[in-house]
Amino acid sequence: MTVVEDATDLLSPRARRRRLLRKRLARRPFALLGFAVAAIFILAAIFAPWVAPYSASATDFNAVLAKPSWDHLLGTDELGRDILSRIIWGARASIQAGVLATCLAMAIGVPIGLVAGYYRGWIDPVISRVTDVVLAFPFLILAVGLAAIMGPSLLNATIALGVGAAPGFVRVARGETLALREEDYVRAAIANGAGDGTIIFRHIVPNMTSTLLVQATVTIPAAIIGEAVLSFLGLGVQPPTPSWGVMLADAQSYLSQAPRLAVYPGLAIFFCALAFNLLGDGLRDALDPRTTR
Amino acid sequence: MADTLLDVRDLSVRFETDDGTTQAVDELSFTLAEGEVLGVVGESGCGKSVTMLSLLRLLPPTAEVSGSARFGGIDLLAASSAQLKRIRGREISFVFQEPMTSLNPSFTVGRQVAEVLQRHLGYSRKAAGARAVELLDLVRIPAPESRVDEYPHQLSGGMRQRVMIAIALACDPKILIADEPTTALDVTIQAGILDLMRDIRDRLGTAIVLITHNLGVVADIADRVIVMYAGRKAEEAPVHELYEHPQHPYTIGLLGAIPRRGVDRLQEIPGLVPRLSEPLPYCAFAERCPRADRRSRSEVPQLREVRPAHLVACFHPGSE
Repeated sequence: MTVVEDATDLLSPRARRRRLLRKRLARRPFALLGFAVAAIFILAAIFAPWVAPYSASATDFNAVLAKPSWDHLLGTDELGRDILSRIIWGARASIQAGVLATCLAMAIGVPIGLVAGYYRGWIDPVISRVTDVVLAFPFLILAVGLAAIMGPSLLNATIALGVGAAPGFVRVARGETLALREEDYVRAAIANGAGDGTIIFRHIVPNMTSTLLVQATVTIPAAIIGEAVLSFLGLGVQPPTPSWGVMLADAQSYLSQAPRLAVYPGLAIFFCALAFNLLGDGLRDALDPRTTR
Repeated sequence: MADTLLDVRDLSVRFETDDGTTQAVDELSFTLAEGEVLGVVGESGCGKSVTMLSLLRLLPPTAEVSGSARFGGIDLLAASSAQLKRIRGREISFVFQEPMTSLNPSFTVGRQVAEVLQRHLGYSRKAAGARAVELLDLVRIPAPESRVDEYPHQLSGGMRQRVMIAIALACDPKILIADEPTTALDVTIQAGILDLMRDIRDRLGTAIVLITHNLGVVADIADRVIVMYAGRKAEEAPVHELYEHPQHPYTIGLLGAIPRRGVDRLQEIPGLVPRLSEPLPYCAFAERCPRADRRSRSEVPQLREVRPAHLVACFHPGSE
């Protein structure tokens, strides 16, 4: 018998795969950084009531527009509310909008793209032209328009962002389907008696996950920024519920006096979007079965 | 003689494309007996792959297929798509030329073997997984218990082709159609795959159709050989008969192109296979044939039996 060179040989295949993924991620420092920062934002959003030093709406009129201090690490706003606490609570709206809008966009866009790319025929040009028309509107303009029609609330803003981002997924899913259905293994599966369902769900969808992941990593930060914009414009989260966009809007009147009111939520938006982008890039490389590192 | 398994009559395939029509197969008839290994030989573009793909209607919708193909009481060319789905991979299965890209990169090879078992034979996931190990062992993949959990990119070309054969054999089909199964592989690996196919025929009694452009491969394994040229059958004979007494000048040309010891220069056949937009009203090989005369250029030679079980479509047959 040969000597077992690597302890991973003794593990079950599933454990081995998980270990491989972890190893590949570990070789990508920026991906790890992105993961860490995104995790901080997600945890902050989930555990906001326990993490935030103050309530998001607690006012302290003795410390209005206070500079950063040990009492208020990032200072206070015009009503004496703790900015750090409001950023932590605001992460809820951003993460929720970013993740849910992306899921919604995927749920709408991927099936439509699959149908267009797989069945072709008359349905493909119809879907493609409609997608082109929708894509002709800039993403934010479209989301603003939809949110305005549905009325201001976080849920409506999320739906508007999800619908606005769906055409991107239609296009990606259609293109991938067109390419994948010509693959030799799809032809081989058809020759072995596979039906449309098997072809689509076992041979096409699994092989486009990394491409969809890339699209999702572009969409999550765009939706996070989109939520901030909608809330800034008063179409998303309604005051007094905290949101980074609402904070930016409130900070406008105090820009010369206390620019930090705008800087801190701005930085939160920036780092959150960047973290998800870095994480997505790293995941894409690590999940690709053809990558060897 | 064993019973006839597949009886193809007057098969014609035309492609209607924007660039015009192409006559890929012209009134081809052949049979396949149970447990027989049939070699189909010809140059690229002579219609051998198209013939086999058309039997299971695997051609793109631009193909127009006519004729009949009796298999187990039904005509494959007239069968419903539900009937065809039950036959594909279960009664008649395919092995393709490209082992490197014919497996789905997202699943382990074990799951891909198991998929066919679950679909056609109603195996549970667990039973299919266990059977997949046996099948990989059958196609002589070493250490099949651990190989089932590997992904296609972890396997070599020869191993992947063995996996493709395992998938094709999973449901114990009556016919295995192998389209250039060894062309993309190293010579040493080729021999192993051919050896495996011969073994499968002997042990499982599967009839095999082997499509190839290499007469050497056919000599190794086939019982009977069909030589195709420009969508028509040029010659058909038992394998030893064909090698010892080739009749058609095209077959003689192909045999001259096999590397042999003591022969310095390989003989080539001048010219190319013609691309046909419609059936030629004369012998398709005439332009490249040293024996062609006026008759060859004005009339289609019909198949006739010149020696026992030896058919040839030529006005001037003969071994030399």
